[in-house]
Parts: sequence; C-alpha cells; structure tokens
Amino acid sequence: MTDPITTQSAAQVPATATAPNGAVVPAIELRRVARWYGNVVAVNDVSFALGAGVTGLLGPNGAGKTTLLHMLAGFLAPSAGEVLILGRGPHRDPSVYRQIGLVPEREAVYPFLTGLDYVKFNARLQGLRNPEAAARAAIARVGLDDAMDRAIGTYSKGMRQRVKVAGSLVHDPQVLLLDEPFNGMDPRQRIAMMDLLVELAAAGRTILFSSHILEEVEQVGTEILVLVAGRLAASGDFRAIRALMTDRPHNITIHSSDDRRLATTLMADPAIFAVELTATGLSVQTAHLTAFRRLIAGASRTAGVRLFEVIPADESLESVFDYLVRR
Amino acid sequence: MNSIAIFAEIVRITLRQLLGRRRTLLLVLLSALPVVLALAFRLGGETEIERFTRRIFDTITMTILLPLVAILFGSGAFGAEIDDGTVVYLLAKPIPRWLVIAAKASGAIAMSIVLTGTSTLLAGFIDLAPAGADGIHAVLAQFLAVVVGSACYVALFLALSLFTRRALVIGIGYMLVWEGALSFILTGIANLSIRQYSLGASKAIYTLPLQEARLTAETAFVLSGVLVVASLAIATWKLMRFELPGGSD
Repeated sequence: MTDPITTQSAAQVPATATAPNGAVVPAIELRRVARWYGNVVAVNDVSFALGAGVTGLLGPNGAGKTTLLHMLAGFLAPSAGEVLILGRGPHRDPSVYRQIGLVPEREAVYPFLTGLDYVKFNARLQGLRNPEAAARAAIARVGLDDAMDRAIGTYSKGMRQRVKVAGSLVHDPQVLLLDEPFNGMDPRQRIAMMDLLVELAAAGRTILFSSHILEEVEQVGTEILVLVAGRLAASGDFRAIRALMTDRPHNITIHSSDDRRLATTLMADPAIFAVELTATGLSVQTAHLTAFRRLIAGASRTAGVRLFEVIPADESLESVFDYLVRR
Repeated sequence: MNSIAIFAEIVRITLRQLLGRRRTLLLVLLSALPVVLALAFRLGGETEIERFTRRIFDTITMTILLPLVAILFGSGAFGAEIDDGTVVYLLAKPIPRWLVIAAKASGAIAMSIVLTGTSTLLAGFIDLAPAGADGIHAVLAQFLAVVVGSACYVALFLALSLFTRRALVIGIGYMLVWEGALSFILTGIANLSIRQYSLGASKAIYTLPLQEARLTAETAFVLSGVLVVASLAIATWKLMRFELPGGSD
C-alpha cells in the first residue's frame, strides 16, 4: 500500500471547531490510530482531522469503517494512537456525549416505544430542559411527524433509520457520527436525509458518515475519507483525488463501422494501453483522455472507419473507489 | 434535569423491556402457584406455620420461584440490549455508569419483588392469618427473605450478564446444582449461598421453622450487602469498559 492520496483535505487543512470550553480544536482528530483484534488489524495508522462540514467515510465491507466510527464514538479504545473529539478522548468519558450524536449501523431500536417516546427518551437522558419540544423538533427535521405516535416495531427500515437520526440530533450535537445512515431508505427519504445533513453542516456541525454506496457520498459531501483494508487510501475532495490519479487508465467504449480495423490502428499508438473487441463494441484503455480525443479522429480517418459513438465510461466516484481498492 | 429524573427514565425503560417479554407472562403464572396451593391448603384445613413454610414457602417460593424470577430479571436487565445493540442508545449519553447500573438493578429488583413478594404475601396471609401474630410475623419474615433474595440474585446475575452471554444458563445451573443440591450436603456453603442469606435475613423478624437456615440475621445482612455492593461495583467497572464490536466493516 502506498501513501494515502490527499488533496485540499481534512488531512492537510487545519479543520477546526470551537469546543465547549471555547478552545479552537479539530472537531474530529485521529493521530496515527490503529486498532487490532489479536492478529487481525482492523484499522492501521490512520490520521486525519475534520472541522465543520459533511465528510463521507468510504470503503468496501471489511475496510474498518465501523471500527473507526466506534473508536470515534468512544466505544472502542484504539490499540495505538490517539482519537480526539473536540480535543478530548471519548473513550471512558461519558460527558463527551453531550457533543456527540451517534447513529449506529445496527437496526434495532426499542420496538415497544413510539417514535416520539424514543426521541424523548434520548432528550431526557441528555438532560434537556424541555424534552417534549426538543423531541418534536427533531422528529420534524427527519419528517416523521405523521408516524411519531406509532410503535417503532411497526416502522419500515427507512423509518427506523430516520428515528435513529432524530434521536441522535435531539440535543443538537457538535459532532454527528452516522454508520450507514441511508440503509433502507427509499430515494425520496434518502434525498431528504442528505439535505438535512448538508443543512446541519452549513450550520457548523461536523458530520462523518460511513457508506459503501458511492453515489450517497458523491451527493452529500465532496470531502471523502477512503478506507481500504484498514488504511486511509485517500482523503480530501473526491473530484481532486480523481484528477490526481493520472496513472489510472480511462475506459472508453467505441462503436464504429468496423471495430476490428479501428482496433488495429489504435494498437499502434503508445497512448493506448489496451484494446478489446467485445460484443457491444470496442473497449479502449488510455492514460491520457485529451491525447486520445485527438488520436481517435486521425485513427478513424486513417483506417477509413466511420465513428458512431465514443463514450468515456466510468468517470463516477464508483470508478475512483474501484481504483483505490485495487491500488 | 437531575440524576433522579434520569434514574427514573432508565428504570422506566427497564421495566418496559422486562414486562414486554413473553417469559414474564410465564413468570406471572408461576408466581400464582404458591397462592393457588395456599388456597387449596386453606380449604383443606392445613394452615399451620411449619407445614406451610416447608411445603409452599421453602419448596416452591425459595427453591424455584424466587431464584428463577430474579435470575431471569437480573440477567435480562442488560442482556437483551447488549445482544440486539440497543444498549448503545443508553450508553451514548452523558450519564455516569454507576447511575445506569443502579437504575437497571433497581428496575429488575423491583420487578422481582413485585412478582415474588406479592405471591409470598398473598399465599402467606391466606394460610397463616388465622395463626395470629406468629402467623403474621412468619409471613413478613418470608417477605423479607424474598426482598433480600431478589436484591442478591439480581445484582449478581446482572453483573454476570455484562461478562458473558450465558449468565442465564449459569444462573439456572447455580440455582439447581449449588443451591438445590450442594448446599443441602455441604454445610460450609452457607456463606456462599443467596438462599442462605435470604433465610438468614428473615430471622430478623421471625425464626421460620427451617433447619437449613444456618446463618444469623446479622451475618446474612452483612454478606448479602457485600454481595450486592460488590456485584454492582463490578458491573459499573465493566460497563465503563464496555466496547462495541468492530462490525464487519
């Protein structure tokens, strides 16, 4: 594994928030954090700092995202390094939960409580002065007003996710940690939740959410942390990360009047890595998109082939992620 | 909001969790058994303190009902929440861990006392009220035994449930093997038996006609107090170190 790719990122730019004592510190900071279970290393030498804003924690299953979030939430001690929330170690310090809202990945929520009762329960345990008003406001933010008097046991998966989010933000925490928060939500609920996270970030909150679904991260936050096999593979603005990866081959699909002849011509050019004839057309890999655009026009003339379609495939976050995982 | 309000909130959620289980209904039915038997004895004319104490209080309440109810509530006060992950909603709060343990234990002890204590009082008064002051004292002594037993069993098995998922199985093994068999054979076990603490404590009100009650009331109170405080302290220590698994990702 090479060093993580960083752009104008959390890792480089001092990302700060104001702690309850008035000190200006990173809202979330990891310093060379590792966590292992016996011989298995779940998180390895991860460092970053985050301030206000939405950051997506991205990685495939088994990458260490949940382990990282549990360490941030104080429910796992790092085996090495330091985890800080607003300048304080969260492990074995319950008072830190005044500033943290946590949405765990596990679905279970007290099934016998109504949505309103559950959020009120959270508000009371946070010691809020008016739990009823705070709970109703939080429920309104996640759009569960209509269902708040129903038992959570009758909720759909997406509704349970939303009531969990309402419970986590009822005390207006500075830091919100969400583990796969969009699981089970339909597209409309997902968009509403994404809007809510963006709104909270605009209000100065620090939000870190994990996901293995790339379009979620792409739509909510441009800042990403990519964990691969427990290590930070990349951090910063995902588009900038993508631009930095010049060594990554770009895939282009071509439809022409004679794919075989065009393939022979393209193969001769050093800018082309690979050419493959498939049932649906000609698949070409190149490291230089701009050079390829010039090249393809000349090559088609030389080969006497008419071009029907030239489609650059895979410019999405999915391709960035795939590349980082394989890297 | 102060600690008392938070304590009450946790007790309330604990009671709802314990009441919501199907097994609680079975325990309610089981707790009715001494009452039904007491009625049968009363109708049959057998209402003598010694006979009632041996046949109903000792054989059913102390040997089966109390340990079973208190172990189930003690091991279940946290157990299910840890298994299904809902304990996170309780622990991701700015609450001292001792307060969480105290509230959980109080809820479970209260549930155990309500079930077993009500059963003991009802059964006792049905059969022993005609026996006059001695009968009333015998019933109150039995109730005290159930209160002390509830506190001890709940505290011990609540603490154990934070260390192992098999707290209930261990509890039933303890009830059947340690207290049900070994304590009758090995008299030295009296100092390590919740059953003996309960019976010993009852002597503070009335000396029940049970030869196997080996501890004095003072010794029983001290030992049961040590057990409850130590168990809850260990539970608090363990809860402060509670960790969530890393998960699959």
